[in-house]
Amino acid sequence: MTESQTLPVMPTRVMGLYDKPFWDHVQQRSMCLQRCGHCQAFQYPPGPVCSACLSEDLNWTKVSGRATILSWVVFHRKYLEGYPAPYNVITVRLDEGPIMVSNLEGPQPDGSWIGASVDLCYAEMARGLLLPRFKLGA
Amino acid sequence: MTIKRAAAIVGIGQTNWRQDYQRVKAGECPTDSYGYGAQAFVGALKDAGLQRNDIDGLIVGPTTANERMGEVLGLDVRWGGQADAVQAVMQAVMAIETGMAEVVALVYGNDQRSAGTQYGGPEAMGAASFLSYVYHAPWGFTSQGALYAMMFRAYQHERGFTERQLGEVAVAQRAWSSLNPDAVMQERVTIDDYLNSRYVCEPLHLLDYCLINDGGVALIVAEASRAKKISKNPIYIEALGRSDINKGATVLEPRLTNFYLPAQQQCAEQVFNAAGLGPKDINVAQIYDSFSLHVPLALEGYGYCAVGEAGKFLTEQGIGPGGTLAVNTSGGHLSDSYMQGWNHQIESIKQLRGTAGKRQVDNCRFVHYSSDVAGKAMSIIYGR
Repeated sequence: MTESQTLPVMPTRVMGLYDKPFWDHVQQRSMCLQRCGHCQAFQYPPGPVCSACLSEDLNWTKVSGRATILSWVVFHRKYLEGYPAPYNVITVRLDEGPIMVSNLEGPQPDGSWIGASVDLCYAEMARGLLLPRFKLGA
Repeated sequence: MTIKRAAAIVGIGQTNWRQDYQRVKAGECPTDSYGYGAQAFVGALKDAGLQRNDIDGLIVGPTTANERMGEVLGLDVRWGGQADAVQAVMQAVMAIETGMAEVVALVYGNDQRSAGTQYGGPEAMGAASFLSYVYHAPWGFTSQGALYAMMFRAYQHERGFTERQLGEVAVAQRAWSSLNPDAVMQERVTIDDYLNSRYVCEPLHLLDYCLINDGGVALIVAEASRAKKISKNPIYIEALGRSDINKGATVLEPRLTNFYLPAQQQCAEQVFNAAGLGPKDINVAQIYDSFSLHVPLALEGYGYCAVGEAGKFLTEQGIGPGGTLAVNTSGGHLSDSYMQGWNHQIESIKQLRGTAGKRQVDNCRFVHYSSDVAGKAMSIIYGR
């Protein structure tokens, strides 16, 4: 068996002009978000201007990796290669402010997941691609 | 300027989606999106008693091209557009108000079941309009149902709302559709049937999801003085309202943190003030229901109950036959037909004409249609 058969296939990523640096940083295990040099706001998804103040002075800035779960679901149906059911998807609010969709790896909270503290980790997918995910905080 | 009673619906048409659902299930392709649109258009012309050359405006749904639909229907018009159900009505009213057209046909056809349209997965539709539908695919987050499941979990946490309370929506709408001989699904369900139905994207059950079926709907909207000449019972557009949330939309911020409440409240203020009405004056609420969750959100957002009281309203007052507020009286998208808001428009007209058969709501004077697709809260109030 080759490695590409054992690791899950990453579904197609939206790869606009401003998405590419995001994924390049992820691939370096150094997830960065755009931060505005004018108003200091972080933003995700990345874009051409700061949505808070419309400045174009945006700088890729590494995030702390700390986040809190806002909501979660469990898929009981398979839609995509790489994601056999059941599997979870979470939304987290990063300490820097933006919300991000991801998955929770490893142990799961008892009862409600909402409010649980989580930390960034990187999952290896097929073709050597890395995917930012989260695991419960220590 | 107000649009109050400036335009009216004078004709409605629909395809036989109950029969076509069985035909498609048996492997047939009865027709395509244009064919369903054409069938509905012919029905609406007949209902209005109009000739094709009386039509001078054409608005088609998002599933067909305007030019090709005009070509198929043999219609050369002086004004045209393409829009979803609620915006089609709005555009028709605006065209009439500005003198761009006088009698506008709104035509929708969708072969989504027979053509295998995907609402989740690698080919998910809607991405051109809503980045959130595809942006999170790397994490397996796809399908519009999943967006509502994520929203529902946060809503449950915030409001103490239960799955059993949400189940009242599916149960009530099926009770309505059991009185609708045209509905695809007519067999009543209980709250236990709901709770025992499988999860698709937990916490949403199968019965929280809309149907996927083929069909078509058409409406003919005419300038008010023309409408009076065309029809003995024109149904007027009393008021329109709209309020959009775009900030944070792709990462679901408004879905998860305010459940579109500010947009619905602002839209409510506009549409009710413009009509000179309040929620208590509404006899039937038609609520866009691709997923059952839309219903409690709209009940709270439009002031049919207090914020945080939708669960209690659903269980204690009720939205089904005999309930306090009649909601989605055809069965809506969950049980009648998934015509993406279009079947709600013609059900509004039937209730106001008094032709809704066994599901007719007594003395129906005003119907409120609401949709909140992706945080764009829009409303129409129809009146006799």
